[in-house]
Amino acid sequence: MSSQPDPKFTPPQSFSDGGLLHAHEESVAHRTDDRGSYKLLPLALLFAFSGLIFFGGTYLNLFSGHFDPKIFDERALPHSGQVEVAKLDPVVYGKKLYESLCINCHQPTGLGVPGAFPPLAGSEWVNGPQERIIRILEHGLQGPLTVKGSNFGAVPMPAVGVGGAGWSDDKIAAVLTYVRQAFGNNSPAVTEEKVTEIRNQVGTHAPWAPADLLKIQ
Amino acid sequence: MISAPSNVAASETDTTARGPLVLLLVSALGWLLVSGVLALIATIQLHTPGFMAACPWLTYGHTQAVQETAFIYGWAANSAFAVSLWILGRLGGAPLRGLGLLTVGTVFWNLGVTIGIVCIMLGEATAVSFLQIPAYIHPLLLVAYAAIATPGVLAWTGRRQQGTFASQWYAVAALFLFPWLYSAAQMMLLVAPVRGVGQAVVAAWFAQNLLSLWLIPTALAAAYYLVPKLTGRVIANYDFAPHGFWALLFFGAWTGTRHLIGGPVPAWIPTVGIVTTLVLLFHYVIVALNLRAGLGGGRGNVVLGFVSFGLLAYVIGGLLDAIFSFHVFAEVLQFTYFPVAQLKLAVMGAYSFLIFGAIYYLTPRITGVAWPSTSLIRAHFGLAVLGTVVTVVSLAAAGWVQGKGLGDPVMTFASIAAATRPWLLAATAGEAILLFGSIVLTVHFVRLQAATVCPAWGSTSALEASAS
Repeated sequence: MSSQPDPKFTPPQSFSDGGLLHAHEESVAHRTDDRGSYKLLPLALLFAFSGLIFFGGTYLNLFSGHFDPKIFDERALPHSGQVEVAKLDPVVYGKKLYESLCINCHQPTGLGVPGAFPPLAGSEWVNGPQERIIRILEHGLQGPLTVKGSNFGAVPMPAVGVGGAGWSDDKIAAVLTYVRQAFGNNSPAVTEEKVTEIRNQVGTHAPWAPADLLKIQ
Repeated sequence: MISAPSNVAASETDTTARGPLVLLLVSALGWLLVSGVLALIATIQLHTPGFMAACPWLTYGHTQAVQETAFIYGWAANSAFAVSLWILGRLGGAPLRGLGLLTVGTVFWNLGVTIGIVCIMLGEATAVSFLQIPAYIHPLLLVAYAAIATPGVLAWTGRRQQGTFASQWYAVAALFLFPWLYSAAQMMLLVAPVRGVGQAVVAAWFAQNLLSLWLIPTALAAAYYLVPKLTGRVIANYDFAPHGFWALLFFGAWTGTRHLIGGPVPAWIPTVGIVTTLVLLFHYVIVALNLRAGLGGGRGNVVLGFVSFGLLAYVIGGLLDAIFSFHVFAEVLQFTYFPVAQLKLAVMGAYSFLIFGAIYYLTPRITGVAWPSTSLIRAHFGLAVLGTVVTVVSLAAAGWVQGKGLGDPVMTFASIAAATRPWLLAATAGEAILLFGSIVLTVHFVRLQAATVCPAWGSTSALEASAS
């Protein structure tokens, strides 16, 4: 709380506010350069500014993704317009679909439940003609049925296609490909086009009777 | 306690605007204390989350928002108004006009901030950084601002001096840029929010520009005024000052989007932010060149000490911003305590120190009474420097540890929290020191005001007390 003057400090000659303005106006006033003095600083600042702009411009060019609104990675370059769609593995997709619905009756093993739900593993229906199994999924199955020598048919198989659970053709193709290649089965894949073809050919249909399906090869 | 009162020219003392300016400064200091207390609580909650948890309006979400609001709209706004209006009045060469409006505006501004903070505590806060006050209070603040800014505009348009000075450019720019930033952000974020990632871009633009285009120009107006006044020398290389000014206005406005590095925005938006942050170095070079007489330190003059530290923090902060906005660093430090440290360096180290210097300089000149004690000013300086350095360094270290930990797949979240804890404890100590420094300043200011009523409270000597 001392009120003593600080001896080390001598008060500078201070500007009044008007004097402050005047002195600075004066300092930038253009004078005749009769001594021909050359100042390095403006040139140095010009170089510094140009350097920053050059670096900044280069950086902007390299890491702006060419100002494309769809580029989120600054190192990426805009694509040519050709969109590459990732290929989906039907077996992986089909397994997901199987586990979302079919698994409830046909079981994780694909062996079904004796006397109620027929097995898929080694089934002559699953590994038989695509024409039949696609129809079963599209429209359902009802009536006495023989699979691997055992009798089934007490519980009908519901339709999964557009008339039933509402699955699209690619989903039906994927789940069929899965069951035809899982549980020890080894049959060719079912294509989406084939499912579409049969759906268009048959249209709406009541659940198939096994006897009618067996007539289709 | 350098020169006797008689040594200060009569024109230097202008008590006509004393009432409104003291009102602004008292409000500013009050909010500085409020934000200091809440900053302390919020920092404690970073390492001890249970602290104050029983009190629903003092949980971290509330304390952090209130602390930020009290600091920006309370301390920074009121002090920026006081300093820029005073400088514009001084350099305009005539007493400030429109003081009635200024008083009414100040009262309503602080009323608005108070209601806003109560609303935030009641859970009404918005989710926008630096704009947490609920939407329905902002129009009141905007109208109050119009009243507060009127004397500044009158002082600028009615100036009697030939020519203009750098301080005036910065002060007038801040005066006109704030309502633009503030009303645009309100419209685009609260009233009719823009859709999608546009919101993040506008929020980043606003948060950075509130600093770059409003608080920093105000602080630079003070620096450009105080350095020649305190050193008695013309600003070096003054012919480059306009380039520095326009570089800040042109490039500073674009730097905000660097905060979106790694965010869900098109790559070019953060890249533009990085590039402009880099080019803005040109502005810092010119400020450093111009004000190098002030950078040299106090040499016994504690007010110049505040200006020195503020300028040093400003230039170092600009350099750090440019370096750490590059991807190689931002990938580690983004979304950690490190940007918090950078913000602290800018708002406390640069802005507040320059404004502290201005407050110490202008208060004796608007009241006609000297600061009662040089020791208290020195104490405040020491505490503020220590508090700022400790807080900024420990938050930066905590951010580095945190960023490295988050990038390491083996580190668990709990082990990262444990590793940052010592640094957060140090930051808490820093906040406590800063709060103590603010208390010293406030007590000293109140004592000076008391001395205007009862001279026995004041010092027996110089008007210049600490100003020189």
